[in-house]
Amino acid sequence: MITEEQIAAYADDQLEGDEKARVEAAIAADPALAAKVDGHRALKAQLTGHYAPILDQPVPDHLAAMLSGKSDAAQDKTNGEVVSFAKERQKRGLAPTLRRWAPIAGPALAASLVLAIFQPWQTSPPLEGYAGEELASALDTQLAATQDADAATRVLLSFENEAGEYCRAYQSEGEGGIACRDAQGWEIERQFALQESQVTEFRQAGSLSDIMAAAQAMAPSGALDAAAEASAREQGWRK
Amino acid sequence: MSAPTFEQQVLDLLPRLRRFAIGLAGSPSDGDDLCQMTIERALTRRDQWQEGTRLDSWMYRIMRNIYIDEGRAGTRRQETFVSEDAGLGVGADGAQEARVELSMVDRAMARLPDDQREAVLLVMVEGYAYKEAAEIVGCPVGTLNSRLVRGRDALQALLAGDGPSGDSA
Repeated sequence: MITEEQIAAYADDQLEGDEKARVEAAIAADPALAAKVDGHRALKAQLTGHYAPILDQPVPDHLAAMLSGKSDAAQDKTNGEVVSFAKERQKRGLAPTLRRWAPIAGPALAASLVLAIFQPWQTSPPLEGYAGEELASALDTQLAATQDADAATRVLLSFENEAGEYCRAYQSEGEGGIACRDAQGWEIERQFALQESQVTEFRQAGSLSDIMAAAQAMAPSGALDAAAEASAREQGWRK
Repeated sequence: MSAPTFEQQVLDLLPRLRRFAIGLAGSPSDGDDLCQMTIERALTRRDQWQEGTRLDSWMYRIMRNIYIDEGRAGTRRQETFVSEDAGLGVGADGAQEARVELSMVDRAMARLPDDQREAVLLVMVEGYAYKEAAEIVGCPVGTLNSRLVRGRDALQALLAGDGPSGDSA
């Protein structure tokens, strides 16, 4: 008695010794079994061929960057240079990171934006490294879920960082970033220059998803939902 | 000559890891998402990998565990939340790319139960021996063998019977 498992294993060249000899003999004697083996092998060839092109595709830069030790450098030390790991995300639109967070961040993502990373010292907020009055006010008061769609500064999402501070990713005309609330105010942790996506020379610079990716990397337990965000505001964004 | 670093070895495996991830998750974007989580986990648990054992099997095991543990609850739920009609208003490009045109093979694979899909991928695409695939999955060889048979039968039926008509308009 030859089982289906044995036929498949034979087709996959996984049998040895007596068992292989027995199955081989049975197949030789029965065209129906031989046809099954052929079917198994044809399917294998079809699947192999189907997935093979993936091997030849360039590995997305953001994945390679995780292993090159340059990931942090690309995010933190690039002096306004084009950030290559962002290109792949750019090409496929919404990054997985962004898609995961989109239920929370959705309303704020209406614009398709591209951003170039630049250094915090390119702007000079009142207290070095902290949000200016206008931004701080938006961060203090606006909730991602309920803010006006046309607010000058829009909060993309809120989360808690590893230090237990409340942080908020935001976007306004021409720039975006992530700020975390400490005893002195909203400290700017990340800052990005935004460009409209049709400005093609900045196509390679990055996208809104980089803010989201940066936020996700800083948020061990994910984004706050609307209720948690509202309660954080009630506490004045301090624990 | 020093041995290649852990990072370099993983980097060398990346094309294959992507292939498995995309096959498991069903789309390039979800596959790369899975890849990213796998690399993250591998980097944090690198001291659990024993030098001299196969890094590829170790990485594949991490990946399938993430997919089974989190993929089910995570990836797919995301997709329902953020389908193209969710009104995200992403740029036209993004929305279009998100709506990936699936091939017949992709659709057939997507209809397999997870345990059959991973068995099919590990053996028929990645080329692992049954024993190696069973170790990656963490099941007896006989179990892997029968999952494989069921997966193959289902695929053959889907690919043979499923013409371009399908469920399209």
